[in-house]
Amino acid sequence: MAVISTTAARRRLASQVGSHLFLAAVTAAFLAPVIWALLSAFKQPVAIIQRPLDLFGSGFTLVNYVRMFQDVPIGQGFFNTAIVLVIKGAITMLGAPLAAYGFAKYTFPGKPILFGAVMVTLMLPVIVLIIPLLLEMKELGWVGTYQALILPGSVDAFAIFWMRQVIAAVPDELLDAGRIDGCSEPGVFWRIVLPAIRPGLAGLGVLTIMNIYNDFVWPVVVASSSKMATLQVVLSTLAQNIAGHRISADYASVTGELLAASSIALIPLLVLFILLQKHFINGILAGSVKG
Amino acid sequence: MTAMTAVQGEASGTGPFWRRPWRRPISQLTPVGQDERRPAGPRRSLRPWQRFRRAGWPYLFIAPFLVVFVAFSVYPMLFTLRLSFTRWHGTGLAQWVGLNNYAYLLTNPAFWASLKNSAALWLLVLPAQIVLALAIAVLLNNTALKLRGFYRVAAIVPFVTPLVAVAQIWVVLFDRDYGVINHILNLFGLPDVGWLVTSTWSKPTLALLFIWKTTGFIMIILLSGLQAIEPAFYEAATIDGAGRARQISAITLPLLRRTLMFAVVMQTLAVFQMFTEPYVVTEGGPYSSTTTAGLYLYNHINRADLGTGSANSFLLVIIMVGLSLVFVRLLRPKD
Repeated sequence: MAVISTTAARRRLASQVGSHLFLAAVTAAFLAPVIWALLSAFKQPVAIIQRPLDLFGSGFTLVNYVRMFQDVPIGQGFFNTAIVLVIKGAITMLGAPLAAYGFAKYTFPGKPILFGAVMVTLMLPVIVLIIPLLLEMKELGWVGTYQALILPGSVDAFAIFWMRQVIAAVPDELLDAGRIDGCSEPGVFWRIVLPAIRPGLAGLGVLTIMNIYNDFVWPVVVASSSKMATLQVVLSTLAQNIAGHRISADYASVTGELLAASSIALIPLLVLFILLQKHFINGILAGSVKG
Repeated sequence: MTAMTAVQGEASGTGPFWRRPWRRPISQLTPVGQDERRPAGPRRSLRPWQRFRRAGWPYLFIAPFLVVFVAFSVYPMLFTLRLSFTRWHGTGLAQWVGLNNYAYLLTNPAFWASLKNSAALWLLVLPAQIVLALAIAVLLNNTALKLRGFYRVAAIVPFVTPLVAVAQIWVVLFDRDYGVINHILNLFGLPDVGWLVTSTWSKPTLALLFIWKTTGFIMIILLSGLQAIEPAFYEAATIDGAGRARQISAITLPLLRRTLMFAVVMQTLAVFQMFTEPYVVTEGGPYSSTTTAGLYLYNHINRADLGTGSANSFLLVIIMVGLSLVFVRLLRPKD
């Protein structure tokens, strides 16, 4: 008996060590590019290229950030992204759970077709709609306006799909109890469903912020003028600059600016994620783990 | 949570109260979906507004989605369909050309090359990513493992970062002359590799970016599927003497089928509409080796060739819907 338990214990230890080795390697691969960029942005441009792995030994400088702020309208980008984030985010956070509630808890004529519409939107690549959507915006005179950035895709199909699963897990008895107590149908949604799915909503919130902040395909088409460009669009123009400079001797300083710009775009989301990681992960998990 | 369990307990304690005849008024308040429970009653006598109060709510709830859907999906979609039968460059009159745009695309090697590039990326991404995500998820599902919270968070970091920013970092990391990756290879005495400038390596480099970016997300989805599996299954299997590998093949994979299906369909669609990665990192090159289906479509817009672009959109939609249906069919649980 004692022999068996020591072999078992040894095997368990070996598997623990193996797990940690594998996970540590994967984790290093996941984190290294981001950490390298964040730290390299504070190095002298020449040092970034000549000693890329020497992250601390070559002195601290803000020259990359200073040049980047001079060359790139990054503040304007942040401002535009913030406006879109607040308004589009609010529409998604209200509209998606509401529609999801309709789909999850009611049967009504036309429901299969309408939910099919959600699924089709889910499968439809954004890029497929870009041509007609752009023409529609031209027709409306909306090219280069906030409403063009905000309205298309504001009640997101994935959010509906996900929230429908979350709301389906709320027991019908709970809703009936609310109705017995005199809640109207919107009241049931507002006072019972929304509080019951709070973890899922928090997850949806973080995911929505992330999606809007990172959105690129539509903004680059409809708002490429520098006045309306969102942060990601501003960033991408910088990348095209670097392609132009590739041959020239200035490669180092453009690389430095690029890393500074990438870092400053990364940081808000990283901070948000580190602060709200529980909500984010729990939100994704909420659909399958029932309380 | 406590309120929920209290209500559940009460309901199970008193039985299915809605079936009791003296509770009829309640069932009238329940939504239409639960009408099967309600015996045929004096339904005809309801006035229109009453009927709306009973049946109209779900339509009202779905209305915001519907407005956005019709204005910014259905209308543009129909518009694309019409446009796909015309030759039009954004100004002047559109010229009806019938199926010419479709014929042009289907006989154009560049169109097929773009699909082939996407298919190659799919092959490079999907198997590797699913295996990697599953391996991480299985290890993190072990509650005895220390640091699992840290590993889980670290795996999601790439998913959270803005794609454009990361794509730019990729450009710097994989540069042939100044990049870190080649610097490291040189340290080991290996020669420089033209990651982004040779058509051999351009696809693997983009695939790596995609895998790096989204594996954490897939892992979280798979982990949630794993956590939904009853521990009792594993306990029973252990008692029966099944080893770890046997447990994974006999319990984990079959019960994870639905979750895996979800992940595979999602990633397939994502790979076939991949646009930002090649747009920022390689601009479709070298020699169009990274001109994905999505980027090829975008190039029509760039040339203001809107008719052909619309036809291309439709072909792409057909391919994507077809692909997802195939996967749903393949991975459907047998029951």
